[in-house]
Amino acid sequence: MSEQHQNLAIIGHVDHGKSTLVGRLLYETGSVPEHVIEQHREEAEEKGKGGFEFAYVMDNLAEERERGVTIDIAHQEFSTDEYDFTIVDCPGHRDFVKNMITGASQADNAVLVVAADDGVAPQTQEHVFLARTLGIDELIIGINKMDVVDYKEDTYNDVVEEVTQLLKQVQFDTDDASFIPISAFEGDNIAEASDNTPWYDGEILLEALNALPEPEPPTDASLRLPIQDVYTISGIGTVPVGRIETGVMNVGDDVVFQPSDVGGEVKTIEMHHEEVPKAEPGDNVGFNVRGIGKDDIRRGDVCGPADDPPKVAETFQAQVVVMQHPSVITAGYTPVFHAHTSQVACTIESIDKKMDPSSGEVAEENPDFIQSGDAAVVTIRPQKPLSIEPSSEIPELGSFAIRDMGQTIAAGKVLEVNEK
Amino acid sequence: MGKVAAKIKVMPDSPEIDLDALQERLESALPEGAKINGVEREEVAFGLTALYPTVIVPDGSGGTETVEENFSDVDGVESVGVENVGRI
Repeated sequence: MSEQHQNLAIIGHVDHGKSTLVGRLLYETGSVPEHVIEQHREEAEEKGKGGFEFAYVMDNLAEERERGVTIDIAHQEFSTDEYDFTIVDCPGHRDFVKNMITGASQADNAVLVVAADDGVAPQTQEHVFLARTLGIDELIIGINKMDVVDYKEDTYNDVVEEVTQLLKQVQFDTDDASFIPISAFEGDNIAEASDNTPWYDGEILLEALNALPEPEPPTDASLRLPIQDVYTISGIGTVPVGRIETGVMNVGDDVVFQPSDVGGEVKTIEMHHEEVPKAEPGDNVGFNVRGIGKDDIRRGDVCGPADDPPKVAETFQAQVVVMQHPSVITAGYTPVFHAHTSQVACTIESIDKKMDPSSGEVAEENPDFIQSGDAAVVTIRPQKPLSIEPSSEIPELGSFAIRDMGQTIAAGKVLEVNEK
Repeated sequence: MGKVAAKIKVMPDSPEIDLDALQERLESALPEGAKINGVEREEVAFGLTALYPTVIVPDGSGGTETVEENFSDVDGVESVGVENVGRI
């Protein structure tokens, strides 16, 4: 067992073998409870499929979890020599993308599963972009189902090339990506180097997981606390509530709320109904600031230090990927942007660049329109004040989902903020 | 397509609210096809307690939007936000 903890996203197209890989990882690292293994072994033998018990693990765990009284989403855990991993198994449907952007920050690193017999598929692209938007540092790419393509090196190389192009398109540094030919079903190159791929001498999956960099909690960054709700509590006064994304809040700090543009000194901080002297990233807190009234601040404000206040965007430039749109997106389009606790209508003022999917280069400067599947750089003007940060400075507050017609139509990350 | 568990944070509109009654109102506000699989509580601050129902929805039917909207309309709810989603 190790002390270091990592949240690991398993991403990829539906049917490319994500669940099987999760099952295999749990199985190979001895992370499935003994009684569950026993149960599966018995069932497998009854069905004459001895030796394949791991294949049942995921199915039955899913059933058990659904039957159970509570479901802990961060439930699947396994340990390697270096890390304790918690698996974030991403939903396939794109409407969950908004949740993944505005929810509690999730994955540190990710394993992208691409089936060797299918190559890059629509959700492969979406998930890769999502990984980048969510600030995932390193990507391990498992070219899965190698058994289905008879462990052919040529097929592996073709898929590697295809994925490399995709990474370039969303400007994911390929130096931060490693490729491994695997079969989650057969267990090739997961815990042991496989005899079936003598042409491959790189890291196997568990080695690659061990070699991931240690995640660093964003305590060094400036305080950013998006306000979820504002209450009036008798005897206390105005109490904003929210989760700290970055930095540290101390009693006595001089803070400011943007875009409402008011501030004061932090008098008290409470967490779990107890007064605390300071709070850190991930903490859900309520606090009280001298001189702030209930109507002075609102949901969507971001609280930060007075000497390094949250940015308020007059306009901002962002990289977006269009996931689904019935027609085309042109300048002037004004959908709703979801960023941290804020929901603000924003106009796409100009479409600055469109990326070429095959090369990752700029395909067109100032294109007339973009559509589903396109990656582009756009300039955005919020219709109401919006606090947002460049993703390169504070990634936790630098991503957004774009929604319209009841759907998540695009996701993006902020490149540059032109402040008011 | 499998199913997705979404852990949803529901903040009450005051510290005085009857959480058991609020929980019942949330259950009866669920849209067709969704179900609550346990509700956790977390004491936040100054008497405010957040409810965290874990809602199971099918992967592939438009996400958690309807659940969020329905919960937002429940009497005594200040805000609704999805904390976490994951396939089960």
